[in-house]
Amino acid sequence: MSDHVADAFRLENVSFDYEGIPAICSLSLQIAQGERVALLGPNGSGKSTLLRILDGLYFPTSGSIQFHNSELSKDNLNNQQFCFDFRRRVALVFQNPDVQLFNPSVFDEVAYGPLQLQWTKEEVIRRVEETLAFMSLSHLRDRPPYRLSGGEKKRVALASVLVMDPEVLLLDEPTATLDPKSQSQVVDLIQQWKGSSKTVVTATHQLEIVEDIADRVLVLEAGTITAAGTSSEILSDTELLLRANLAHAHRHSHGGEVHSHPHLHGHTHSHDHTHEE
Amino acid sequence: MHIPDGYLSPSTCATFYALSAAGWYTSLRRLKRVFATRTIPMVSVFAAFSFIVMMFNVPLPGGTTGHALGVTVAAIVLGPAGSIWAVSIALAIQALLFGDGGITTLGANCFNMAIVGSLVAYGVYQLVATGSDVSSRRRVIAAAIAGYTSINVCALVTAIEFGIQPTFFHDAAGTPLYAPYPLRVAIPAMMIGHLTIAGLAEALVSAGMVSYLQRADINLLRGLGAAPIPTVSSASNAGAASARLWWAVGLLMLGTPLGILAAGTAWGEWSSRDLSARLQQQAASAPGKPANPSTVPVGLQRLASIWTAPFPSYAPPFVRSPLLGYFLSAMFAVGLLVLISLLGMAWGRRA
Amino acid sequence: MQDSYLEKTIRGLSKALSESLFSEQVARKSGLLQSLDPRVRLGGVLLLVVAVVACRRVEIVGASFVLATLLALRSRVCLTILIKHVWLVVLIFTGIIALPAVFITPGKSFIIMRPVPLSISASGLYSAAMLILRVETAATLTATLIFCTPWTHILKALRFLRMPAEIITILTMTHRYIFLLIETAKQMFESRQSRTVGVMPESERRKVVARTAGVLLSKSMELSNEVYLAMLSRGFRGEVRLLSDFRMAGRDYAALSAFIVTASMVVWIGR
Repeated sequence: MSDHVADAFRLENVSFDYEGIPAICSLSLQIAQGERVALLGPNGSGKSTLLRILDGLYFPTSGSIQFHNSELSKDNLNNQQFCFDFRRRVALVFQNPDVQLFNPSVFDEVAYGPLQLQWTKEEVIRRVEETLAFMSLSHLRDRPPYRLSGGEKKRVALASVLVMDPEVLLLDEPTATLDPKSQSQVVDLIQQWKGSSKTVVTATHQLEIVEDIADRVLVLEAGTITAAGTSSEILSDTELLLRANLAHAHRHSHGGEVHSHPHLHGHTHSHDHTHEE
Repeated sequence: MHIPDGYLSPSTCATFYALSAAGWYTSLRRLKRVFATRTIPMVSVFAAFSFIVMMFNVPLPGGTTGHALGVTVAAIVLGPAGSIWAVSIALAIQALLFGDGGITTLGANCFNMAIVGSLVAYGVYQLVATGSDVSSRRRVIAAAIAGYTSINVCALVTAIEFGIQPTFFHDAAGTPLYAPYPLRVAIPAMMIGHLTIAGLAEALVSAGMVSYLQRADINLLRGLGAAPIPTVSSASNAGAASARLWWAVGLLMLGTPLGILAAGTAWGEWSSRDLSARLQQQAASAPGKPANPSTVPVGLQRLASIWTAPFPSYAPPFVRSPLLGYFLSAMFAVGLLVLISLLGMAWGRRA
Repeated sequence: MQDSYLEKTIRGLSKALSESLFSEQVARKSGLLQSLDPRVRLGGVLLLVVAVVACRRVEIVGASFVLATLLALRSRVCLTILIKHVWLVVLIFTGIIALPAVFITPGKSFIIMRPVPLSISASGLYSAAMLILRVETAATLTATLIFCTPWTHILKALRFLRMPAEIITILTMTHRYIFLLIETAKQMFESRQSRTVGVMPESERRKVVARTAGVLLSKSMELSNEVYLAMLSRGFRGEVRLLSDFRMAGRDYAALSAFIVTASMVVWIGR
């Protein structure tokens, strides 16, 4: 990474306790602007917690976190201007879309963010229509959230943050509980941002999408980063993956012998695209 | 206990809207002091929870099922302010979305179930449970007693609202225009169902939930609305806000003797003795007309003797002046309610 | 039989879901109320309900009932729906309550029933009629409003009637999460039902209800915390901003005047 690329996030010795239990332990990390990072780790490793710290929802019990050289502290976020600026530039998509869909219709949901940031009515309506069209959700604009399928909910949740055109996207298990078609839609979206100025941090335990969505991979275990590298480096380190509970070993028998193979769900494939215009 | 439109006169509805508004205002201010920006998601989710608990069928001894209100557990976990709002919102949605309970009577329904219900439930719970460990059996029993008491006080207040309708709101001929039963009938009629079924359901569900939470999620029982975030003027604010509420109740109490102003015994509120005299009078003054019963109908007599109030004719026996007697009765009733709540809250603060 | 309470609860929960879906269908049709601005709809119906409650003469209440029915029919709420969902329910509930009044309200005897020492008085009939008609009319009006107006419009109309934005938000979110919690509760009961073999002792059945309610409470706590974070994440700072996009047309003003005039007449003539 070039030294001239700004750091979006800089964490120094960040520790965080959740209700007395340590969740993040002395973690140091730098994320450059425009990077696409994957946070790999099993459930309970602290991925969600880390994303919330990055989004200024939890504040470190010790250590510091900076966003573009500004400290992300409670005091700073109390300042309205700083708060609005930060909230527009950094967006978090929660793992459970129901938590994020609390408005009566899809249109209202996507409009919520801009409205809170005090955009003008015309601006809000214009941007919402644009975003709905971009995510192919226009036909659902008046639908209430409880009548949406899992994939639709996820797309609405994404739309509700994309409407503000954020610089940083924090995604918490974006493909969990989705059917394969919706999964590929989400992955395509993240792939689109490769090489753009958007910084993307994705927490996931699904190894098969890691290659498509990230350039750098961090492995998180019990609140600390135990490994870092490119996606191909990490994905080929089967020992590490087994230890970190990201892969499992199959046992099967041939005749009288029993073999044990580490089994990954990742795969490599090549595409041949032909477009018809 | 959800009163539909048409049972209460406009002035009754307006009075209770005013009382409820006072309750909503004071409790919202307290909620915002305690929860600040978390108030909105907290109240919303708990209102949704209350709404759903009201739909559960609770199996009761004897093979029947009943419905609980859920106000007791809401008061224990959220505190009275949060519970007032959660239950009020649930009632509002029931009325506005499902037509369950009237719109003109929403104020009265909220007063009965959300405000009185929460205060009594919280007060009684604190009274019985204070001093005991949060995981002790006493808490479960406290929840049961609080639930039973709370529901029955709600029913009593509702019955009083029904019962005063014929007195105040009738046409020139004396026909009741709204709920047609006087207090002597309304109170036993309402209380029978709640003393047996609804009160029991609430008691059992509250006790069961507290017992479950003691094992599964004990922090919730420590009460979320424990102490307000210390601010400079919080103490005086709390004092001023509650004071306003008690002023409102006091004014209402002062207004009760207005009932005396109706000449003679209130229409419809005759005792068997009064009715008999009145009928004989009618028969005597209109000898040729088709016979009214000259004696009190047996059914009415039986019904009337079910409930003998502690203060017959609203006057304790030792009080001579009917006006004073009326007022004293009202004071006693409200005072009882207030005492329970205050005692409970005072004990709670000491713990 | 042993699962009847589970059955009943599950059915009750499903019914709540389907009832609100049903009203969305009626709201989409083109009828009299649907064509009006939601604010006029809400305000107008509220005025009429208050007027009916304030009216003191049974003939006028009766006339209002006819009016309310016409309004419902013109708003594409069909008669069978009205009878099944509104009129019958009210008649049974209020009828039972009003029936004794027919006998015990003192007044000039109308009908004397020989074998039983009961008589029906004119005032008793009048009183019962007033109560039943009033409740039916109010219920018809509110049901029509609810059937014809999507929840989101009711909320926006309330906003216009000066209800504080915070309360609107609370109502909105509560409504939203009712559906989520209904699904959760249903699933819990259904899985319990499928695991039940044989007859459960009654205390055990009660424990199931209490436990389900307890789990629901814990989930509600968790949910409210998460929702709070999600709101913060999108810029929530305590104030609420809503988008209002209603415009009053000529016919809305005409309808509003009609509502006001009708309500006033009901109160004046019926005083």
